[in-house]
Amino acid sequence: MSKKTTRGSKPKPDPDAEAAGKKSTATALKKVLFVAEKALPQDKDEQKLRLERFFHPGQNKEALFMTHDNVQIMELLEYAEPRRSWLVNSEVCSNGKIYMTAPLDPTLLAVHHLRKHCGQRAMSLDNIAVDEPSTSRLLNEIINPDSLKCVADVKKSGDLSFYKFNQERTLAWLALKTRQVVGVLKEKNVHCGHSAQSQNFVRSEKLAAETASTNEMDYTRMACDIVGRYLDSDLHEKLTSYLHITSEIQAIVEEKAASQKRKSKAGQEGGGETKKIKLNDNDASAKLKSSGLVDSDTDHNTSITSPTAAPPLKERSLTAKEKALAKGAKGTKSIASFFKVK
Amino acid sequence: MSITLDFNGKNLAKSKTLDLHYLPAKIDGDGEANVEQYFNNYTREATDYGSGVFTNALRGYPLMGQRLKVPEGFKGLVLQETEKPLSESSDRQLRLTGVFEEFTYWNYDKVPSNGDAYRQALIMSDVAQALAQPINEQDLEAEIARNKENTKTSP
Repeated sequence: MSKKTTRGSKPKPDPDAEAAGKKSTATALKKVLFVAEKALPQDKDEQKLRLERFFHPGQNKEALFMTHDNVQIMELLEYAEPRRSWLVNSEVCSNGKIYMTAPLDPTLLAVHHLRKHCGQRAMSLDNIAVDEPSTSRLLNEIINPDSLKCVADVKKSGDLSFYKFNQERTLAWLALKTRQVVGVLKEKNVHCGHSAQSQNFVRSEKLAAETASTNEMDYTRMACDIVGRYLDSDLHEKLTSYLHITSEIQAIVEEKAASQKRKSKAGQEGGGETKKIKLNDNDASAKLKSSGLVDSDTDHNTSITSPTAAPPLKERSLTAKEKALAKGAKGTKSIASFFKVK
Repeated sequence: MSITLDFNGKNLAKSKTLDLHYLPAKIDGDGEANVEQYFNNYTREATDYGSGVFTNALRGYPLMGQRLKVPEGFKGLVLQETEKPLSESSDRQLRLTGVFEEFTYWNYDKVPSNGDAYRQALIMSDVAQALAQPINEQDLEAEIARNKENTKTSP
């Protein structure tokens, strides 16, 4: 009997597992890409697309870029959701990412190298970073030297050109880039405020008009952050101050103050209802809390003081009916008297 | 190190069109599956939710999908690496498996809408386009001059 059970529990080779093992070695990971049509090789074009690594200043490390024929360079963006996968014809592909090419101005990549090497003196491009093959390939083969005029002073001597980094020009150039991005964000109606908003709700036109005037700064801030993804962090900071962008925390405080002003105005027009004033009070403490100007201790105090301020309002609000009731109740025993401690 | 996408214009023109499904699930594994019999067979059009909305199910979890075109100006490619690289630094090659113009986008129990992360991510492509747009030199000079004016007047 015992012999039989051991035979039964003997692990059988699982045919499925073996087949799966074989398959995974046969079919390597597939990748799904969206590639810009104009970058793809045309009918008689023998040139092939390549993926190369170049230094990405925003990420402070090398990243993949797609190049074609040494002329075009594109960034390779990766779209990933936590739980996604593909079915390709009759195959499962566990890699649920989409790799997408995005056009890129290679000058943005060059800025980092020019700042690093040509800040003090003018240099010719083939003398910069001779020991870094990817950098010199970027500067000499891919970048159109004319485009560097936007970020550097060019000095010519004979056939040779020398480049010296010019911060003033670069910042102006980046500011114009930021403005282009602002244009697109507005066109696409991207919501740029600091608070999240659901796309599922349809906003009323009145509200849309109101926000449009106020969040110009929000758009600029977002656009500046997008441009900043391609810049060294210190250059990003310089661009932020160049564009006079206030920090987000400050913006939140200002907005809260503005909305409070609006609310109190509305309260005055409506005859100063008690409820509205109370709401305002809460709002002020919320504002203080969010601004971080008040630490939790003092915040606690304000929440205690607000109920003590409430009673006088209550007394005032005695109506004629209540007064009549109070008159009628005179001389009768108060209900509280039954519960006195003797 | 560089990776070559091993196809030219001719290969691309001749390549076969693939049928793709973008599933809202993480699947631990790659390989053959009987997609036609067990998945495509159950795709139904659900007109209750609007035109072009499909329903299906994955392990009993309801899916709602929609045929989507690859964004305008883009072509969908599926690539595959046939040989594993010998070392990190060696050159690699990716082969073309096929192309696609359309795919089915599936959401878990939700009608696909503009609120989907996928659709919002596509806006980035327009943003990148704007960022890559070269700057006119006259505009640049004007901006520099304007900034100088501002800094002069402000203090």
